Amino acid sequence: MKLELRNRKKGKITITIVLGLVCFVLLFIMFMQFKTVEQTDITSIETMRESELQTELANWKTKYTDVDKKLQEVKEKKQEYEETVNNKEEASAVADKELTEVNKVLGKTDVKGEGIVVTLSDNERSHINSDDLLLLVNELKIAGAEAISINDERIVTISDIVDINTTIIKVNGQRLIGPYVVKAIGNQKYLESGLTAKGGYMDNMEDNQKSMKIEKQRNIEILKYNDELKLKYIEVK
Amino acid sequence: MKNKKVISIVLGGMCFALTLGICIQIKTVTGSNSIVGESNRENDELRAEVLRYKERYDNIYKDLERAEKELEKERQNATQNNGDLEEKEEAIKQGNKMIGMTEVTGPGVIVTLSDGKKDTSTVLNASDLIVHDADVLSVINELKNAGAEAISINDQRIVTTTAITCDGNVVRINNEKVGTPFEIKAIGSPEAMEGALLRPGGYIKEYLEADGIHVTVKKVNNVTIPKYNGVINWEYAKTIE
Repeated sequence: MKLELRNRKKGKITITIVLGLVCFVLLFIMFMQFKTVEQTDITSIETMRESELQTELANWKTKYTDVDKKLQEVKEKKQEYEETVNNKEEASAVADKELTEVNKVLGKTDVKGEGIVVTLSDNERSHINSDDLLLLVNELKIAGAEAISINDERIVTISDIVDINTTIIKVNGQRLIGPYVVKAIGNQKYLESGLTAKGGYMDNMEDNQKSMKIEKQRNIEILKYNDELKLKYIEVK
Repeated sequence: MKNKKVISIVLGGMCFALTLGICIQIKTVTGSNSIVGESNRENDELRAEVLRYKERYDNIYKDLERAEKELEKERQNATQNNGDLEEKEEAIKQGNKMIGMTEVTGPGVIVTLSDGKKDTSTVLNASDLIVHDADVLSVINELKNAGAEAISINDQRIVTTTAITCDGNVVRINNEKVGTPFEIKAIGSPEAMEGALLRPGGYIKEYLEADGIHVTVKKVNNVTIPKYNGVINWEYAKTIE
């Protein structure tokens, strides 16, 4: 009787130890697994699949063409300056041209071109808020928009879009109220399809019962940034 | 006796579940590895092509940088000794600084956003622990609201046409893949920017930290922000004279 009890006790201890060990090993393996998964670098080209590689290749090709085009432009400009080095009047014209280009990208000139006009308006069910506009501007940039304005406030590098309350949104420090007319210059087709893609921006707005209208236009005029663009803190290195 | 049986069954069940879990894990990992492995061989050609184009791009980009320097010199040459022209030259330089075509330095803040390290089993939605494109977009917007003059994310300069998109589990900025942790550098008033970011009710306090995302904001006397590493070629927008 006693012996049997002791045997039983011994058996129990063995089982406990074995179970403990098994659990430990299992846990150890699991952690190792997690670690391997965590360490995989998803931005590395080594781990890309075929479709990703294709996209990557197309990406580099486009970038190459863009840089090539820019390089020719820069060379031309340089030559223009070279040719006018002894003629201040002509040099001035060349500088004016270059300055206009820089100012165009800065948002300091009025611009025109093809594009789309998106109108977001408040309705009884839902208000337009700053996030709607922030995401819209980002979507338009994804689709290659070159110039964007909201109720004639030009979006420049330092533009912010914030809520004041449910009906007022501040852009570039100016208070705006709905309807918000967002103009974007760029490829009409890309701009429109970027917004109307299935599950995209427009679908989302509809799901949230927000009013949105898109209009393609051949000739859109976008006004320049109203304020002076003055930077206090940055230095050129 | 009955008690023992119950315990055995429970233990057996648990062991079974654990083993099953591990088997699934191993299968997933080896499965994904084998796909990568196969395509590794099949796609070697494609991979080499990508690398070749990347190299061509790097080379021509260096040419462009050289040409831009030469242009600057030539412009200076053509505009010197004339007050009116020198003013224009300065305006072009300042403009290039603002559109992101030159490297800039100044006081500011460095913000890092990293995915939450919290145990995923304790949150309802593991996606909350990940930094998303919209999070980056909102933080950038708050920095601009606080007067940021130049911003970069993991050394990608934010220019007027910069879009931030989601691409699987990474974020694309200027069409370049960017992963966590996100290091956002901004030049401007360090106090104003830090204050705005960390204010109660701000995006960081209200959403990011509440979701378990790890955020740090550091004020710095001098931060360097690289130039835009792409080119700006506008095809559609024309200046109205």
